[in-house]
Amino acid sequence: MTATADAPAATADDGTAPDDGTGGSEPGTETFYDRFPEAARIVRATFLGAFLAFAVGTTFGIIQTLHRTGIARPFSSVDYYTFLTAHGVFLVLSFTIFFLVGVFTWALVRSLDRPLVNTRFSWAWYGLMATGMTLTGLTILAGFTSAVDVSADVLFTFYAPLQAHPLFYGGLAVFLVGTWLAGLDWWRTFLAWRREHPDERIPLQAFMVLTTTIMWYVATSALAISVLFFLLPWSLGLIETVNPTLTRTLFWFFGHPVVYFWLMPAYLLWYTVLPSIAGGRLFSDPLARVVFVLFLLLSTPVGIHHQYLDPGIAEGFKFVAMTNTMFLLLPSLLTAFTVVASVEYGARVRGGTGLFGWLRTLPWRDPAFTGMMLAGLMFAAGGFSGMVNAGMNINYLIHNTIWVTGHFHLTVGTAVALTFMAATYWLWPQITNKPIYSRQIGLAQVVLWFAGMALMSNAMHAQGLLGVPRRTAEPTYSGFEYGSAFGGYGELNLQVAIGGTILFASAVLFLSNVVLTMGNSRTDGLAETLAEPISGSEDAPLVLDNIRLWGGIAVLLVLLAYALPIVAIVQRGGLFGPGGEAYPMVLDALAILAEQAPDVLVERMPDVLGGGWAGGWP
Amino acid sequence: MGTTDGEQTAAGLLEDPKSFDPKGTLALILVYFCILVTMWVYIYFVEFLGNDLIVVG
Repeated sequence: MTATADAPAATADDGTAPDDGTGGSEPGTETFYDRFPEAARIVRATFLGAFLAFAVGTTFGIIQTLHRTGIARPFSSVDYYTFLTAHGVFLVLSFTIFFLVGVFTWALVRSLDRPLVNTRFSWAWYGLMATGMTLTGLTILAGFTSAVDVSADVLFTFYAPLQAHPLFYGGLAVFLVGTWLAGLDWWRTFLAWRREHPDERIPLQAFMVLTTTIMWYVATSALAISVLFFLLPWSLGLIETVNPTLTRTLFWFFGHPVVYFWLMPAYLLWYTVLPSIAGGRLFSDPLARVVFVLFLLLSTPVGIHHQYLDPGIAEGFKFVAMTNTMFLLLPSLLTAFTVVASVEYGARVRGGTGLFGWLRTLPWRDPAFTGMMLAGLMFAAGGFSGMVNAGMNINYLIHNTIWVTGHFHLTVGTAVALTFMAATYWLWPQITNKPIYSRQIGLAQVVLWFAGMALMSNAMHAQGLLGVPRRTAEPTYSGFEYGSAFGGYGELNLQVAIGGTILFASAVLFLSNVVLTMGNSRTDGLAETLAEPISGSEDAPLVLDNIRLWGGIAVLLVLLAYALPIVAIVQRGGLFGPGGEAYPMVLDALAILAEQAPDVLVERMPDVLGGGWAGGWP
Repeated sequence: MGTTDGEQTAAGLLEDPKSFDPKGTLALILVYFCILVTMWVYIYFVEFLGNDLIVVG
């Protein structure tokens, strides 16, 4: 049958939320695996890739946590930066993106109720993503050994002057092409559906996937330029220098919208799956569409807010970025309203009463529900610290401190990661026909993640206010002590370490549950269905579905926000920069000093001995 | 309407979903707003009144 998520709202006879029928010819009887086995295999492969990255990334996370808090330092502080790079890249590029391409593939195929156009093509993009990320990952891990002259200790924010081995950039480029082809796959499938259904509204989930894909193309254009024209040739020795401000700016052009690339699948799950788990229905399809359009428009022209302290970018450009960022709060606040209202509807239908009493009737024993709700709650907290980050003046207070780390562990580390884990408890049976090994362990796991993150992230924020730096193996200095706020530095360190340990335990529980679930045998009766919105697509203006229009405006806004700053950066520093020598520069400086020092000493010594300090010596 | 004496009933909401009035959501959002304002005030004290400049080194 065709996707009917957009059909007029109706009520099922049995008093439950109506079903949109896209689960199969007989609603609720077929899982995604039953109906689209090929697509289900691709989704499962992407999830497994994500979980592998999650295992590696979280292991490095606990090592780092214990290292920088001084609890346990079995590795050298030099290796800390290799751990840090691996933690960042494996979790925020590999775990998140592998999982989200799976969610998007599931959502698109499910909502269009048609298979992917060409499964071989789908496996091709999956293969490219896996190959690229393996190359990049191995290049980072090679940094642990001196046996090979390969390393990439450049952190997730891999701009100049930090330089990685060419394989790191090459792998990233291949991975990126894989994601582009995944987007192309979704669009081709949509266009095939459009030919079959010329007059239908785009189903909501497909709409979310398609708008996010356009946002991804816009965002990654700068990353591709940065890697292909600057960082990779520089790393290969084809060009001697790059303009560091330019590569930083191109990175953050990508670096902020990538946050929304991680977040949009979480939003998709909150909008379309969470209400159904709660027994409710999405409050408003039109509002959901508006939110995704706003993210398409506003995600990218804001990246300069990551560069408030960068010299070489005029304050005016930073002010424009701040204004855009504040507008970007709007779709998130709309989401808070719409998702909570959708869940409240479910609670009321379940008999919930009172201003807050309805919360008690929600299915808190369901790990998928509780996990997503806790993720949303953490996102609300992250919203506050994000507002502080976004304010030009107040950002100076916390810039480059561990406050920022605390912030993004609430957003990508919980709103996204916890939603993905919670969604796994709901999605995995749909794509494999295997029931979850233990939903009780699942419930404990999501609650532990929430508790661990509450402890760790709160302490990170407090430390940030004390000026404790991020990206630092040993954040203490001789002759200097941090002040105290909500406890002293040592006490907060303990909170970070305990929180990090709880998070690691939660990650182990999650992965164990998934592995044990894989050992279950396939069974029937696992099909879940999604309810229709209360206010359906028939209430949404047609212009919302004009993705070409929104894509055009998005590009225009990006040009307005970035054309002048980039021209100014290039005019000031040149396309390939006045500087940008590869790290470690200090070693180069020492080498030059060692080479020239004897000559200098010979030339200057007579002056010195003769009292010639005025000859230029300090 | 799906309400009885101002309270929305399950049967009423199922009969007429569009009569749903998300008052509980509004209450939660107001609580969030109050927390945000409190946190902003706190940050104001941290930034402007709580600290002298910290110079490291």
